[in-house]
Amino acid sequence: MGSLGVNVPAIIVLGISIVIGLVMVVVFRYASDQKAIHVAKNHLKAHLLALRLFQDQIPVVMRSYGRIMLATGHYLRLAFKPLLFVIVPMTFLIVQLDRYLGSAPVPTGQPFLMTVHMPDSNALNDVSLSLPDGMTTTAPAVHVPSENQVVWRVVAERSGRYVVNVQASDQIFSKQVVVGSGLSRLSPARLRGQLWERFFVSAEPALPQNKLIDAIDVQYPDRSVAFAGFESLLCSLSGCRFSFQEYLGN
Amino acid sequence: MDPQLLHQFMREGKMPNFAKLEAQGSFRPLTTSIPPQSPVAWSNLITGMNAGGHGIFDFIHRDPKTLALYFSASRVEGPKHAIHLGNWEIPLGGGSAEQLRKGTAFWQILDQHGIPNTIFRIPSNFPPVSAKGNTLSGMGTPDLRGTYGTFSFYTDDPTAAAGSVEGGQIIPVQVENSRVMANLIGPDNSFRKGSPAALEAFSVAVDPVESAAKITVQDYQFVLREGEWSDWVRVEFQLVPFFGNVKGMCRFYLKQAHPRFQLYVSPMNIDPASPALPISTPASYSRFLTDEAGEFHSQGIAEDTKALSDGVLDDNEYLQQSRTVLAEHRRIFDAEFPKFKQGVFFFYFSSLDLNSHMFWRLMDSKHPEYDATLAAQNGSAIESFYEQMDQVLGEVLPRLDDQTTLLVLSDHGFAPYNRSFNLNTWLMNQGYIKMKSAASANSSEPFANVDWTQSRAYGLGLNGLYINLRGRESNGIVEPGMAAANLMAEIRTKLLAVRDDKTKLPVITRIDLASEAYQGPYAREGPDLLVGYNRGYRAGWQTILGAFPADELEDNANPWSGDHCMDYTLVPGVLLSNRKIAAGAPALTDIAPTILAEFGIAKAQGMIGESVFQRSKATH
Repeated sequence: MGSLGVNVPAIIVLGISIVIGLVMVVVFRYASDQKAIHVAKNHLKAHLLALRLFQDQIPVVMRSYGRIMLATGHYLRLAFKPLLFVIVPMTFLIVQLDRYLGSAPVPTGQPFLMTVHMPDSNALNDVSLSLPDGMTTTAPAVHVPSENQVVWRVVAERSGRYVVNVQASDQIFSKQVVVGSGLSRLSPARLRGQLWERFFVSAEPALPQNKLIDAIDVQYPDRSVAFAGFESLLCSLSGCRFSFQEYLGN
Repeated sequence: MDPQLLHQFMREGKMPNFAKLEAQGSFRPLTTSIPPQSPVAWSNLITGMNAGGHGIFDFIHRDPKTLALYFSASRVEGPKHAIHLGNWEIPLGGGSAEQLRKGTAFWQILDQHGIPNTIFRIPSNFPPVSAKGNTLSGMGTPDLRGTYGTFSFYTDDPTAAAGSVEGGQIIPVQVENSRVMANLIGPDNSFRKGSPAALEAFSVAVDPVESAAKITVQDYQFVLREGEWSDWVRVEFQLVPFFGNVKGMCRFYLKQAHPRFQLYVSPMNIDPASPALPISTPASYSRFLTDEAGEFHSQGIAEDTKALSDGVLDDNEYLQQSRTVLAEHRRIFDAEFPKFKQGVFFFYFSSLDLNSHMFWRLMDSKHPEYDATLAAQNGSAIESFYEQMDQVLGEVLPRLDDQTTLLVLSDHGFAPYNRSFNLNTWLMNQGYIKMKSAASANSSEPFANVDWTQSRAYGLGLNGLYINLRGRESNGIVEPGMAAANLMAEIRTKLLAVRDDKTKLPVITRIDLASEAYQGPYAREGPDLLVGYNRGYRAGWQTILGAFPADELEDNANPWSGDHCMDYTLVPGVLLSNRKIAAGAPALTDIAPTILAEFGIAKAQGMIGESVFQRSKATH
């Protein structure tokens, strides 16, 4: 929430949704076979009309149901082609938006968990945490051999962008932690390798490939982007897209 | 709040704001209900009628035909009909939560006259009656399982008795590879054949060396040190995959990590942000309070007194939990009270009641459970809660103007509960209850093995004594009219003569006839006699539910050591106001008429009290 009680993330989602909705309509218009879509729609209407007109003739009704199924499949196939043009940039956009809007920074004074995932459970006792000024642990480290991880409960006194160091053997690995409120680009995890997963959950460089640490997680709280009952970005995006499509007659 | 204790603490200078309020206005004992039990007392206050008018006679009622016991204040039921498909049941219609208190609540009358009101956690109002103002239900609100609070205690201690205890469940677990896998227990799943409890798995990773653990519930993880409470943890129970979920919330307490694993999980509260049952009006009010002041206990009796009684929590652990409850209430009070501009603002604090029940034994060296060592630690627990109430009053007083009337009240006072009187055992020994066989009195089932064809009376609830009346009870043998009246007179005389050999004191000081104590359409639905115990005495824990312990009198060995379910004249509540109270003997039934009169509204039909500010009451 902003200072005047304005839900800034929700407004950002709405604004981006409107822009993306417009772009998608334009892409849809030029990337799709409008003539074929028009014909497919007409076929659907015709079969629906047949259902209405010949509702007392069972064979016609059954045939119409079958044709409606086929025409719907044909229509979806025609609509799928423009989707191929937007799915990659859309995925990229959603991932980037999720960096800002998916989670909120850790509130000051509120404990959060930092978890180090290791490839070998025997090495769990060799890992330690080095916290910057303004951060302290509030519980002993919990070693979880069954999950090859060590978990610390940490609390930060002040807002800010911190770098936390994890030492394993003689090496130091760093992880960024954002504390405070407002919008920040967050990276819930720093990972070794795992390019595809890194793309979705991390906004930091990969951990070194020395097989000491697999990942370092920070437990950021989920951010609520409630807006008129819709919490999902996709809902907003698709809602805007179909609104514009209707308006522009695509 | 007890008038004697309040006077004492005021004299000692510990309650300066209450002293200031008394000096400015009045402080009177407030005549409580018959019997002086919270559901009855608050119903008196809410409706301005006694139990004959609102139909709440005790915590526990019975169906006279079957003698099945049920909670008096509300009834929560699943759907009545369902289609059976294998292990699944498709309900035809929804379940229901029914408020059993009759009569009109005073805030409903205020609504009719356009007077704004906020009623926070008033007891005996679950589910909340329809209202235009903001109301949140209080005592009587169940947990998500439909009980008055069922905790879970997970342990690998082989000496712990697994299974149900009075207020919860002891669940054995195994620590394997420093890991515990267990289930949180949710509501009964009426979509499944036999309605088994819905379960939600959780795991605990215990550090092999340190006294700390990581707990994972669904997608939420947190770390607890030994001796530490978690914040509220939301849990979603899946009743039907992808379709039917209910949300609850609970708190975890890691009692011990090593050498034995001991984890307490609080009763699963209805999540006020997404309530599975109606707990507020409007329905969104509980969510609003959560947004405004954070999560809070929605369960009516939020303090887990059963966990202390069962030995699952010790005094300090229970006190931590109890202080959290008060902190939640004060947070909400601080958020809501400043908004009060006109109308009625009612706010209920439960801390004095529940903690007086639990800590009387450490304040009173004559109590059988008094322990000097424990008293040195927590002997002032009750006093500290009184002082906190004084702090709350200190926040209120400066904000009052000349036009605002303040009433501070409690529904009853308090007294020690040292000795238990087992009424049913006494009735059996006196020949009023006959068993089917001589050795059959030991069952803990309600009235198991009672030969009703030869039994003339029975005790049920904390103060109730019923005649086995022909035409009312299914196996009634006592003719209504003269025979019943004579029997009641006989029992009454004998009970009033009962003396405790240990203390030489009378056990019972007063017995009221329902026909004389109650007015209204439901007057005959409750007990026939209301047993008023002497200070220090109360009905025993087992006799309340129709069991027959061996001894008629026994020491109360339960931490629940203070009580008020006694002779109502011995445990009045308190009434303080910033205005002069004219009534010499104000009663709970006067409160609703008083509030209405403040707005120039005549009392409703059936209300038996009068405004405490009216001179006429002073002559009573």
